[in-house]
Amino acid sequence: MSRDLRAFVSQVKQELPSDYVSVSRKVRPTKFEVTALLETLTQAGHFPMVEFTNTEDAHGNDVDIPIISNVFASRERCALALGHDPNKHKIELSLEYARLAEQAIAPQVMASTQAPVKQVVLQGDKVDVGTLPVVKHYEMDLSPVFTMALAMKDPDTGAYDVSFIKGFYKNDPRKLGISIHSPHLERMLDRYEERGEAAPAVFILGHHPAFYLGALALSPYDSDDYSTIGSFMREALRLTPSTTWGEDFMVPADAEIIVEGEIPPGVREVVDPFGEVTRHYQAQCLRQSMHVTALTRRNEACLQDIFSGHEGHWNLGGIPKEGSVFNAVNARVGNVTAVHMPHSGVCRLACYVAIDKKKEGDGKVAALAALLESWTFQAVVVVDSDIDVFNEKEVVWALLTMVDPQRDITYVRNMSTTFTTAMGHNKVVIDATKPLDRAFPTRFRVPPEAMENIRLDEWIDNWNGRKVV
Amino acid sequence: MDKVFWVTCPECSGRFFCDMELRNSGYELICPFCQNEFLDEESPEIEE
Repeated sequence: MSRDLRAFVSQVKQELPSDYVSVSRKVRPTKFEVTALLETLTQAGHFPMVEFTNTEDAHGNDVDIPIISNVFASRERCALALGHDPNKHKIELSLEYARLAEQAIAPQVMASTQAPVKQVVLQGDKVDVGTLPVVKHYEMDLSPVFTMALAMKDPDTGAYDVSFIKGFYKNDPRKLGISIHSPHLERMLDRYEERGEAAPAVFILGHHPAFYLGALALSPYDSDDYSTIGSFMREALRLTPSTTWGEDFMVPADAEIIVEGEIPPGVREVVDPFGEVTRHYQAQCLRQSMHVTALTRRNEACLQDIFSGHEGHWNLGGIPKEGSVFNAVNARVGNVTAVHMPHSGVCRLACYVAIDKKKEGDGKVAALAALLESWTFQAVVVVDSDIDVFNEKEVVWALLTMVDPQRDITYVRNMSTTFTTAMGHNKVVIDATKPLDRAFPTRFRVPPEAMENIRLDEWIDNWNGRKVV
Repeated sequence: MDKVFWVTCPECSGRFFCDMELRNSGYELICPFCQNEFLDEESPEIEE
């Protein structure tokens, strides 16, 4: 059986049963009922994958298309999706991601008649994207938004790129406002615009999570994302001819829902605000327009959604990046033990690096090397290897006890950045490692040999099953 | 870093913010609260 979203849901139910919940009570996605439930779960400290089985479309009509959200909201689930041990979800997962990103498996082509995503095919006047249960996320959002990935094809090389973008429902059956801010897709769009041609594009509104994680790999522009994604799927991605362009544009055969369309050159739509990854709204602005030509889906399709500005959205930034930062910094300084992009920095703005410090100054070199690895980083903190960078309490402890602000905090001015924050085009790197050039206290510890002898159920009376505050 | 300006919808008084590329651009803004379309100069107040 090919890997698809349904297969992953079944796997989670079987292997991580506490990671899945369903909502059979009817939800109205455009009335914030999906995001209100997800926000309530988040505030209670719960991050399960949620399947809403009783939904309505953008017109307010009942529709037999469930919504699945929060798929990426735990690193353990992301590990499971990549065929990796969920218990090794920290830097081991990130390094496995970086390894997979270096490989490729060529896609496999199957006939449209066999492709699950072609079980329902709508074209021309029969298409209405408002018949999908598109989600409105936040109170100042311009409209309900499709939050998954868009595929485009370079007109010269024929290579496909798949990137996350936003698709704004415009109260029009065959038009979407689309907000493209991926460097590769922007470059492809430029090529079509230079030719004065409409750019073919397809929204992929549901697939196995390995598909989307693979789409985020930092591959060269001319590489083919469909092949890179195969490495993450650990099998050839199955493709089938699109309904609009046939074999000239291939689409994922095992997707849940595909919206095909063309992006005309020079046409701009007003899009946004939208509650973004930084937890601020993106300002209203001008972006591209997509004229929808076809909508295809499975008979029992479900619509996948990202709860933007929350754990799943953040993990999609951190997991694909941590391993490449680790490898790049390690190539320069040779003593990196872990890298983490924390949720507090939305897995984009901050990077924590742990090193096995050998001499004074190693921390700053590692910090500056890490800073160059992502234009989204606003702050890089380097700590000693005995600090768990996945435990923010330990990182903050190092910041508060190891840092001499005069020497260890370096302000880097006028360096291009991605997100709108009060720091503007400025960055900060902080060496929070223990000083080696002067006498300094050491961190206490209970002797490891004493720790190894302790099993709570062996030492504490009636420990098993007992709740302790 | 993008510069923004805040506008007030003349129809529903809802406030939202826009990228500076839309200031005096001739494009009609769209109120996210009531979908009213209006030029920025029609906003009762603009905060820059």
